[in-house]
Amino acid sequence: MFNRDTWLEIANTVLSNPMRTFLTGLSIALGVFILVVMQGLGFGLQNGVQNQFSDDAVNSIWVDAGRTQLAYRGNMPNRQVKMRNSDMDAMFQQMDTVHAYSRRVRIWGVVMEHEDQQSNFPLRGVDPDHLMLENTTLTDGRYISSRDVDEETKVAVLGATVVEDLYEGVNPIGTYLLIGGVQFRVVGTFDDPASRWENKMAYLPFTTAQSIFRSSDKVDQMILGTGDMPVASTILLSDALLSWFKDRKVVHPDDERGVRIENNNEEYERYQNIFLGIELFIWGLGLLTLLAGAVGVANILAIAVKERTKEIGVRKALGASSISVLGLVVQESLALMIVSGSAGLITGVGLLEVVSPMIDHDYFKNPQVDFRIALVALGILAVVGVVSGLGPALRAVRIKPVEALRDE
Amino acid sequence: MDWYLREVIILNNIGKSYVTGSQKLQVLKGLTCNIKEGEMVAIMGSSGSGKSTLLNILGLLDSFDSGEYILSGESMAGLNERAAAKFRSKLLGFVFQSFNLIGFKTALENVALPLYYQSIPRKKRNIIALDYLKKVGLEDWASHLPNQMSGGQKQRVAIARALVAKPKVILADEPTGALDSVTSSDVMKLLREINADGITMIIVTHEHDIAALCDRTIHLVDGLIDLS
Ligand SMILES: Nc1ncnc2c1ncn2[C@@H]1O[C@H](COP(=O)(O)OP(=O)(O)OP(=O)(O)O)[C@@H](O)[C@H]1O
Ligand SMILES: [Mg+2]
Repeated sequence: MFNRDTWLEIANTVLSNPMRTFLTGLSIALGVFILVVMQGLGFGLQNGVQNQFSDDAVNSIWVDAGRTQLAYRGNMPNRQVKMRNSDMDAMFQQMDTVHAYSRRVRIWGVVMEHEDQQSNFPLRGVDPDHLMLENTTLTDGRYISSRDVDEETKVAVLGATVVEDLYEGVNPIGTYLLIGGVQFRVVGTFDDPASRWENKMAYLPFTTAQSIFRSSDKVDQMILGTGDMPVASTILLSDALLSWFKDRKVVHPDDERGVRIENNNEEYERYQNIFLGIELFIWGLGLLTLLAGAVGVANILAIAVKERTKEIGVRKALGASSISVLGLVVQESLALMIVSGSAGLITGVGLLEVVSPMIDHDYFKNPQVDFRIALVALGILAVVGVVSGLGPALRAVRIKPVEALRDE
Repeated sequence: MDWYLREVIILNNIGKSYVTGSQKLQVLKGLTCNIKEGEMVAIMGSSGSGKSTLLNILGLLDSFDSGEYILSGESMAGLNERAAAKFRSKLLGFVFQSFNLIGFKTALENVALPLYYQSIPRKKRNIIALDYLKKVGLEDWASHLPNQMSGGQKQRVAIARALVAKPKVILADEPTGALDSVTSSDVMKLLREINADGITMIIVTHEHDIAALCDRTIHLVDGLIDLS
């Protein structure tokens, strides 16, 4: 369909009216440019928002204990409720399925030493699922494993700030670190971009941390991942857990402090909806711009066909078939679309490429366009090119040479 | 010259009318005539007598309502668009009063265009086209655009374009209508030379001088041929 002759023919007609071609091309290029840039901005916004809320972006239920507000069954108010290992085990027995979980103990300000460097950092004892539940990104090595927890191994996973302060560029993996005077082997490092606070932390196996740094079997916090449970079921679950815990720890049913359960599923769903909304909005906007471009092209082509009525009549008198006339207009439209669309695509991607590193706002990160989306845009462009060329092309086919050639 | 004469065009009782709104205008009322191969015929008649209509029917640019049209031995009744395009490309060449060159194509490209529609490769068709430009004395103007040429030159390019596909019949609607008398006679001389090569020539004109240069003249009066 596109041999050298056809290209020359298209180039000839397209270049014969440079202004018209330029304006058509500009409108398409602009449409695609806007589509690409909007996509980029949308992704930037999405990346930023997702990053900002990534701590909460895991659907989970959090169980905490605190001081009671109300007197209940012979207990005075202001009593500190304590969760213990036995409570955890009993809770798991109550539940049908546990998608993911992590117990937590937190110790403030422990001295950590590596060679002649030393500093105070907080530490946390956790279970393996904590990696996913806290949305931690490992930068090297591995995380706490279930074997670590079972065997109370002395291993540690260090946050970026800890590594920076104690290691000065040396790779910490495999080295030994004194934590509160006890020797631990470093097995992994992590970087939690959403939380500078998290980065000052060392993670240890839950059991190890509890037995070395906490002389009791107290648990500070429990996180339950809810996986793909529907939001309504997670609400039922968290309500059931709350009343079960209150009953077990002798806390008044109306007490709001003694046992607290937070279910972030509703919030999680809200974020998911926001992301989906942003995405739909971007696509809607992009497609509307393209549609406007297509209408413009169809219009300009229709005018072009009208202007070229006589020329098309002459071509027919000289032996042009209907197919060749149809092809002339459709191919011209297609070529225009693809050439100027690609120009818009390249400019848009280029702009994002240049601007992207300069932008680092809390709610706006890495505004890049996916290669696949660029391809989809080109595909849409080709279809739009053919469709918008088709109407004017059919009009060109219907031109009768006699009427076109009549001297008026 | 008479030894190979045979009918290239046979018109039998051709009728053609135009309908505009509720009005019906009968332009050709049962026209009959034959044209022999290698003839050079002038068609004359007053304005509105149907000369252009007849030429368009002969050129398969327009359809006819009734009668019979046999071109080079084949009936042209009820042709579809595709078949008409094929016959035009194979048998017919056109020359128009206002030249109808394509403005953004050079003289050479204009001449080569009919060959493009016969799918002849670019190199080959440019060689052929240049040959025909030479024939009309314009080989030095091959790369010029139509608006850089005079009326006479443009018409000669148009004639080269009509010739390039080696048609049997050339149909010319007032080919000298837009030219001065000196240029007109040059163009007529050229058409005569081409005719001498055996190509049938049908020329619509309202100038007696032009008609006098042809073998014979068909007079159209009121949609019929005036035999008086
Ligand atoms: N497409 C059309 N629709 C309606 N009427 C038409 C059409 N084409 C031609 N006519 C009419 O048919 C008649 C013959 O027209 P035609 O163009 O054949 O005349 P002509 O002999 O070539 O005249 P002229 O010397 O002025 O060129 C005229 O009355 C014209 O108005
Ligand atoms: Mg006329």
